[in-house]
Amino acid sequence: MPTAPAPSVNAGQLALLIPVGSDTYALPLEAVREVVVDPRVTELPTSPAVVRGVFNVRGDIVPLLDTALLLGLRPVIEEPYAVLIETAHGIAGLVATEMPMTVRLSESVGHSDMEGTTETYLVGDSRLAVALDVSTLLSPARISR
Amino acid sequence: MSGSDPFPEGDFQRLFATEAEGRLDTLVDELLELEKGGANPERVASLFREAHTIKGGAAVVGMPHVARVAHALEDLLEEVRRERRGVDTPLIDSVLAGVDAIRSLIPLAVAGEDHELAAFEAEQRLRIAVGGPPVAGEEAAAAPVPTGPDVAVAAALPVAAATLPAEPAVGALGAPPPTAEGPTGAAACPAPLSAPPEVKQAGPPRGVAARRPATAAPEPPPAPPERPLAPPEPPAAAGASSTAPEPSDDRGDAAQALDPVTGQAPPAGAAVSAHAEPARPAAAEMVQMPVHRIDELVRLIGEASAATLRLGSALLERLERDPSGMTEYRDLVRSLNELQELALRARMVPVMSLAPRLRRAVRDLARETGKGVRFETRGEDAEIDRGVLDRLADPLLHLVRNAVDHGIESPDERRLRGKPMEGMVRLHAMQLGSEVVIAVSDDGRGIDVARVREAAGSTDHTAMEMDDEAALYLIFRSGLSTATRVTGVSGRGVGLDAVRASLNAVRGRIEVRSDPGLGTEFRIAVPITMATLRCLVINSAGQAYAIPLHSVRAVLPPQPSATVGGRAMTMVEGRPVPISSLASVLGTGNGVEGPSVVVAGLTRSHAFRVDDLVDQRDVVVKGLGELIPRLPAVAGAGVQPDGSILLVLEAAGLIERARRMDSGDRSVEAAEGGRRDAPVARRAASILVVDDALTVRELQRSIFENAGYRVSVATNGEEALTLISEERPDLVLTDVQMPRMDGFQLTEAIRGQPALASVPVIILTSRGSDEDRRRGLECGADGYIVKSGFDQSALLSAVEHLLGAER
Repeated sequence: MPTAPAPSVNAGQLALLIPVGSDTYALPLEAVREVVVDPRVTELPTSPAVVRGVFNVRGDIVPLLDTALLLGLRPVIEEPYAVLIETAHGIAGLVATEMPMTVRLSESVGHSDMEGTTETYLVGDSRLAVALDVSTLLSPARISR
Repeated sequence: MSGSDPFPEGDFQRLFATEAEGRLDTLVDELLELEKGGANPERVASLFREAHTIKGGAAVVGMPHVARVAHALEDLLEEVRRERRGVDTPLIDSVLAGVDAIRSLIPLAVAGEDHELAAFEAEQRLRIAVGGPPVAGEEAAAAPVPTGPDVAVAAALPVAAATLPAEPAVGALGAPPPTAEGPTGAAACPAPLSAPPEVKQAGPPRGVAARRPATAAPEPPPAPPERPLAPPEPPAAAGASSTAPEPSDDRGDAAQALDPVTGQAPPAGAAVSAHAEPARPAAAEMVQMPVHRIDELVRLIGEASAATLRLGSALLERLERDPSGMTEYRDLVRSLNELQELALRARMVPVMSLAPRLRRAVRDLARETGKGVRFETRGEDAEIDRGVLDRLADPLLHLVRNAVDHGIESPDERRLRGKPMEGMVRLHAMQLGSEVVIAVSDDGRGIDVARVREAAGSTDHTAMEMDDEAALYLIFRSGLSTATRVTGVSGRGVGLDAVRASLNAVRGRIEVRSDPGLGTEFRIAVPITMATLRCLVINSAGQAYAIPLHSVRAVLPPQPSATVGGRAMTMVEGRPVPISSLASVLGTGNGVEGPSVVVAGLTRSHAFRVDDLVDQRDVVVKGLGELIPRLPAVAGAGVQPDGSILLVLEAAGLIERARRMDSGDRSVEAAEGGRRDAPVARRAASILVVDDALTVRELQRSIFENAGYRVSVATNGEEALTLISEERPDLVLTDVQMPRMDGFQLTEAIRGQPALASVPVIILTSRGSDEDRRRGLECGADGYIVKSGFDQSALLSAVEHLLGAER
């Protein structure tokens, strides 16, 4: 049994930065399985809006979730990248609107109040990345609400 | 190797649990045969051997308490084997009680729960039972042996008083058989089911005008004009029809059966290996393995197939070699297909592996109700996917119990009607194409259609105008019961609708036939495996969807519809059927002018307009995962050879959705309030069901899931609290009496947490005392439902009411 990955990323750890619209979020790299470019998404009628659809990852049917809508923000318009995350409830894809990249996080520059997020980090010169709490964000309860 | 040890101790225990389950089934089966056919040294030896093996296995996997009970069981059987203890009803009861105890202890042991006290009690009961009457010799044969537990009680009570004053004597556990049971071997009972189940199954329809038998209105059997239920022939044995069987019959049987016992008793201790089990593959040819390994195998083969197809398209695209022209490629594809078929076959188990449990239920209930009932099985070779069979266990148990409780008449009534005293319940399984048909039939009084109509008529005025066949199917409605007397078993109106719901989950359907006075037959048809599903593929709003063929009744060319009472209707086979555009029901587009697919749910049909029809395919259906809430209109999805995903629609959910949109219930759209495709409002509501009885729990789960709720379950208060701390449910429905933490304590604990104070709690219990009700409301429950007054619609409306109030 694989141990459950850390739900969120901390200072000093490797993170995957995923751009969503004008924002950037950070995920613990160890929770990320892979990044799929241009996933072929099949719309899933009658599902909650946050489910953009399902796509095929080597025979597994994986839901693609709207990262922005999950956080209560305006939904994304397109889904050029899917970041595959291991969760306690199976694998899920999170939409990234630009190519994600890996960084090592420096010290936190502040707490993030948004539900489903933990800390804010400075990445590069002026870009801020908000660390996502995968276990809160990717739960059946949150997806179906 | 410790990290990737394929067999940690827990696995061993689970494996033992599976094995023991089979052995206990065998034990019960042999035991009931023994009861029927008198003492038989081979049977006794076989019983002994099973108990012995269970004892050994339990000790090996670290279940000492289970081993102790099995040891006591072995000792008891040893007394019988050595002819120091006779075979009588109390003995059978004791052994059955021992089997039950072991069955309930194993899961506790696997879960690491404390079961020492329960094991001690079970062991004591078995020890007490050893002190039963001596083996039946000539003298015993002269006395009517199996008339009741009196003999054993007398013998057992003093011992019981000495060792365990609080415990009832084992012999007294079962109800006494009120009347002498009919002669067991009498071949006098007519077969209630003379014809094998004829479910129309001419292979998957190929044409566009695909038709399948509708679930709600089964077509009459195509060819044989014979009556489905043969009238009871006059019993061959004269004694059976006239009066109660004379004791001399029993004596004769017993004496005959006992003779060989005295003649050739096996040497002590040698019986363990003395008698080989006939008609079973030798142990060396069998392996046992956990089901998940086979699942993994099936999955890997599926992946290999998909990879092969990708390889094929790569060959074509990059090297411009057409793979279908390459022998090697074709061989590979064919081998993989065969491999997949074989792997799927490995998951198959005989349908009749359920028989021991059903036989036991028939036997217990027959004794309880004072009826003589013979249980027959046919179709030993029919096999079915283990996963499907597991889901069939409860529905079949229900049907069999109904047959004994409602179907079979009392011996007196049977005699008056000129029927054999002993009723018959038969389980018949057979494979028909890609389905297995299982029939549960009885030669009892049949279903009184007039009473069904009457019972349904109070809520549905159309019931009075229905023809008999349509009215008969009203029994599958929730809350309908014709039993005037609520027995401990059935007659509460919760039953056949739950059976139907469980069958729905395995894509099965149920049909019923009944001839008043002659018997009833329920037929269940289920797909052999849920792994692949034959589907009709259609396009709607530019996307392809698969509709399971078993729910497709017809396909119609584009045609006009008329509006009747505000609903669009079209004519299907001379009957009006509501019609909707699939795209608007799914919320993916608007109306179209293409052909329609007529889909049959369990109770109603609905036509859906689509863009066009594509073809028919076998789809390997997968679930959509735990993260996505259950979508009633989507059964799952399959990965197509080109890597795309094909969604498989679910007829019942689709029809329900269409009806709600149709009937002007704007909740469908209202709930979606601007969101793209949000679920119906109440689907988001989650219910936590807390009950220690698996059956009750699963029944409630299916009731709520069918009503569109999300359901989680817990088996006791403690577990419920843990679940609640992880995810706050919208409502809690709890039983009262449960291990670890009961329903009152749970309610108090919930009310004690400010964050949970507004979560409605309903207490559902078999205790109907005012004291309990008061206590329930005192500790903060919002509702208190007594199980005996429990019907599905009342429960659902209570839940809806509370959820509505909370929001």
